[in-house]
Amino acid sequence: MSIDMSQFYQVFFEETSEHLANMESQLLDLDVENPSLEELNAIFRAAHSIKGGSGTFGFTDMTEVTHVLETLLDRLRKEELQLRPEMVDAFLAAGDILRAQLEHHQGGPAADEEEIKTICARLNQLASGEASAGGEHIDAAPAVVARVIALQCTLPEDIAGHAGDVDNLLAGLSEIAAVTVKHRPSAGAPRLSATLTTLKADAEIRDALSFYVASDAVSITPGEAPDEVASAGAGDADGAYGFFDDEPAASTTAPVIAPSAASVAEDPGYGLFDDEPAPAVVAAPAADPGFGFFDDEPPAAAAAAGSVNVVSAGISEEVDKQGAYGLFEDAAGKPEHLADRSTTSSDAPAAIEGQGYGIFVNAPNGTGMFDNAPGAPKMAASSAASGVATAPEDKSPGRRVTDNPGVETAKVGRRDNDKTATVANADTSIRVSVEKVDQLINLVGELVITQAMLAEAADGFDPVKAERLLSGIELLSRNTRDLQESVMSIRMLPMSMVFSRFPRVVRDLAGKLNKQIEMKTIGENTELDKGLIEKIADPMNHLVRNSLDHGIETPEKRVAAGKNPKGTLTLKASHQGGNVVIEVIDDGGGLNRDKILSKAKEKGLPNIHDGMTDHEVWQLIFAPGFSTADQVTDVSGRGVGMDVVKRNIEGMGGKVELESSTGHGTRTIIRLPLTLAILDGMSVGVGGNTFIVPLTAIVESLQPKLEDIRTMAGDSRMVHIRGEYLPFVSLAEVMGLQGLEDITKGIVMVIESEDGKAALFVDELLGQHQVVIKSLEANYRKVDGISGATIMGDGSVAMILDLSAVTRMGLSHAQRNDLNKRLAA
Amino acid sequence: MEKNESSGVVASGEYLTFTLGAEEYGMDILKVQEIRGYDSVTKIANSPAFIKGVVNLRGVIVPIVDLRIKFKIGEPTYDQFTVVIILNIGKRVMGIVVDGVSDVIELNSSSMRPAPEFGSILDTRYILGLGTIEDRMIIVVDIEELMTSQEMALIEEAAA
Repeated sequence: MSIDMSQFYQVFFEETSEHLANMESQLLDLDVENPSLEELNAIFRAAHSIKGGSGTFGFTDMTEVTHVLETLLDRLRKEELQLRPEMVDAFLAAGDILRAQLEHHQGGPAADEEEIKTICARLNQLASGEASAGGEHIDAAPAVVARVIALQCTLPEDIAGHAGDVDNLLAGLSEIAAVTVKHRPSAGAPRLSATLTTLKADAEIRDALSFYVASDAVSITPGEAPDEVASAGAGDADGAYGFFDDEPAASTTAPVIAPSAASVAEDPGYGLFDDEPAPAVVAAPAADPGFGFFDDEPPAAAAAAGSVNVVSAGISEEVDKQGAYGLFEDAAGKPEHLADRSTTSSDAPAAIEGQGYGIFVNAPNGTGMFDNAPGAPKMAASSAASGVATAPEDKSPGRRVTDNPGVETAKVGRRDNDKTATVANADTSIRVSVEKVDQLINLVGELVITQAMLAEAADGFDPVKAERLLSGIELLSRNTRDLQESVMSIRMLPMSMVFSRFPRVVRDLAGKLNKQIEMKTIGENTELDKGLIEKIADPMNHLVRNSLDHGIETPEKRVAAGKNPKGTLTLKASHQGGNVVIEVIDDGGGLNRDKILSKAKEKGLPNIHDGMTDHEVWQLIFAPGFSTADQVTDVSGRGVGMDVVKRNIEGMGGKVELESSTGHGTRTIIRLPLTLAILDGMSVGVGGNTFIVPLTAIVESLQPKLEDIRTMAGDSRMVHIRGEYLPFVSLAEVMGLQGLEDITKGIVMVIESEDGKAALFVDELLGQHQVVIKSLEANYRKVDGISGATIMGDGSVAMILDLSAVTRMGLSHAQRNDLNKRLAA
Repeated sequence: MEKNESSGVVASGEYLTFTLGAEEYGMDILKVQEIRGYDSVTKIANSPAFIKGVVNLRGVIVPIVDLRIKFKIGEPTYDQFTVVIILNIGKRVMGIVVDGVSDVIELNSSSMRPAPEFGSILDTRYILGLGTIEDRMIIVVDIEELMTSQEMALIEEAAA
């Protein structure tokens, strides 16, 4: 293979994790009692895509797990099995295994082999357990190690003499086992002798034969049936199907159960290749007249020469013979076979490699999706490569731009042969790197500024003479505004991206903690900047775990407290002003004020007294190392968490608040700015300079009266506003500018920062803007009192104030003097 | 730019020369992003006088340093002839105000002399050597070293 597949790995990793997430959320949504076919199909598709992808890229470990997963899913969606809760558990566990394997391929630690085996066995058991009871053996032979048994019986004369009946019998057998007929019954010799490779119990085999022969007359022994010379009657089969003519020993084959081999013979020009190892052996000579893919394949040739007639197992379905180019049929449920015959199955793909057609047909489905059997990664790759090559070149972590971000669909550029599947999830998204989006946002920002400059320049024109110009500029401004909005929205993702991970967390934890918990989400379509979405997930995870572990009580306690035994955890997102407010609400026991206080005293935290307000007490929870949990569980209680939560959220420019009512629950409120890149601000003028004050911090603005200004200890000034004495901070002083002398001509803004309220004195208010935050540190350094810079409509730069720093600077005389000294130096 | 550490003499290369007062300086042309006129800047609170402030350079906030103030050479006047050289140093973009940009010259090591050691505002650390072209003496500065130095206070580590 000339194409280096590793260049597509990133695409695969991203896609697969999306599929996994998708699968998980659908599993969690699944109504166990009454699963809809559509949901099951969607889950199946996700599993199937992972299988296809992992096969394509040669990650056979994943292929194996998905394969068993798929087998069970397939039975479910065909309604052969009833969905049970333990199946969902098994699916989820398998999803975890797959994720671990995926991480392993990305350079993470290896997945636990034991666990993989356990889960595969569990899935198999689930798939097969019902199979034996139901007695329907369509295609889902589970992948447990098959037994080789010898079957011998003597058929009643009337059946043995009728070739059609014998065919039916063998066909029936082949549905449950790979059958090698040693002696085909015929009119004169009614004895049937065959070697069966099967997963089924003896009783089932007897059952399958019961229509023709009494079950106690059937002898089943482990091991192979002795070879016998083909007898008369073989010609019947030949005559009927006639494709093993040039293969003398083939006369003992029951052709009806080797449909894929038949296809080879009928369509030699394209070389149908069946991945099932058994027919591969048969197919080898049959393919000879065509391209002879297997000519140089010693094991296959040897097998053929040895005249062992292997008849395809019934587990493989009829392949569409019209499917011209290189059909690959998946041998559902037989990975062990492939492994056992690794010489055959892994060499064969090598032979076909480079043929490059590759419609991979998933025969059972008939939809023509890729279906890669575990042993055939390379050939899958050869054809998939052409499709994958159209994927974005940029391998950097990208985001998916999509009209409907909640819907994960198949990728464009893959599976272009796959009509049905692509149409089914018509894809509306492309993958674009974040840098490109950010660059676009920057450029649009520039455009907006240029447009504002143009508008300003055109302001002075005579509207009569320059009518067309002015209307053009008007149009331009509307278009740029729309453009900016749409571009900004690219970075916005719905909160459901974060919320969607929690049903699983809640489910797992509830099980672990023996609690009954129902999770509700409200406002998951609220959009938030991608950067924030990524960062909010961790703190929320902490909060949810806290709520589950410490908040919601056990069912017994809840009942005792007169509450519904089922606790409710609500995740809520909403817009409030320029903020996104995310709430984690539980209806548990609430915070215990006394416990927190005593713990705080015990820890020796400063300023602890019984007269603290609830709000202050709740804030103690955010102290590092603080935990009131009586015992540390593996869920939470180690006392790391809330302080990290607080730090993370403040790092995002947000705030955390707690509300709690003993016995009724706790509500954690996270306030975040809409985006990291845009700020709602009020521009103020001081000494000819423009500054931006974050709008969220402004409580009110007013013109002060001289008598409202009071002094304390000589020069600390305060403003008396609505009964409150607020420290008076002059922005001009802090910024070392010459501001207004006359206080009554300026404006006092009441601002609220982390350090409390303050009155910020500025010369004038200029207006309210949405400003794009630019880093000052990118090319300069951090400046005290400044959190960033922005570019105003006229192209000039304005500083965005860091209010808590400004307040501190204004209040601290020592600092100010120090500053003056520094400046003088 | 290759630098011979022991002698402080640079290998040949192209240099952009600029004037500060009556003196002519040279710097590695590869560090220069563009040359533009002086726009009004936005002052940064509590910064040294030679840091004029920041400007918006096509969406990027770029600090502007007036080397004339820094080295106390020439009169810091700002008019339509004032020149700002935008430098690209490391991943940072910054501008320096100079009296004028004169030339792009090629200097080879034979025409470069190490700068004599004596106390001056411009520390000899930042001087790669003295180049001579005809009668002109060109002070070749290591602009990267200079701009990232502590005394320029342009970079976080240096700001402490």
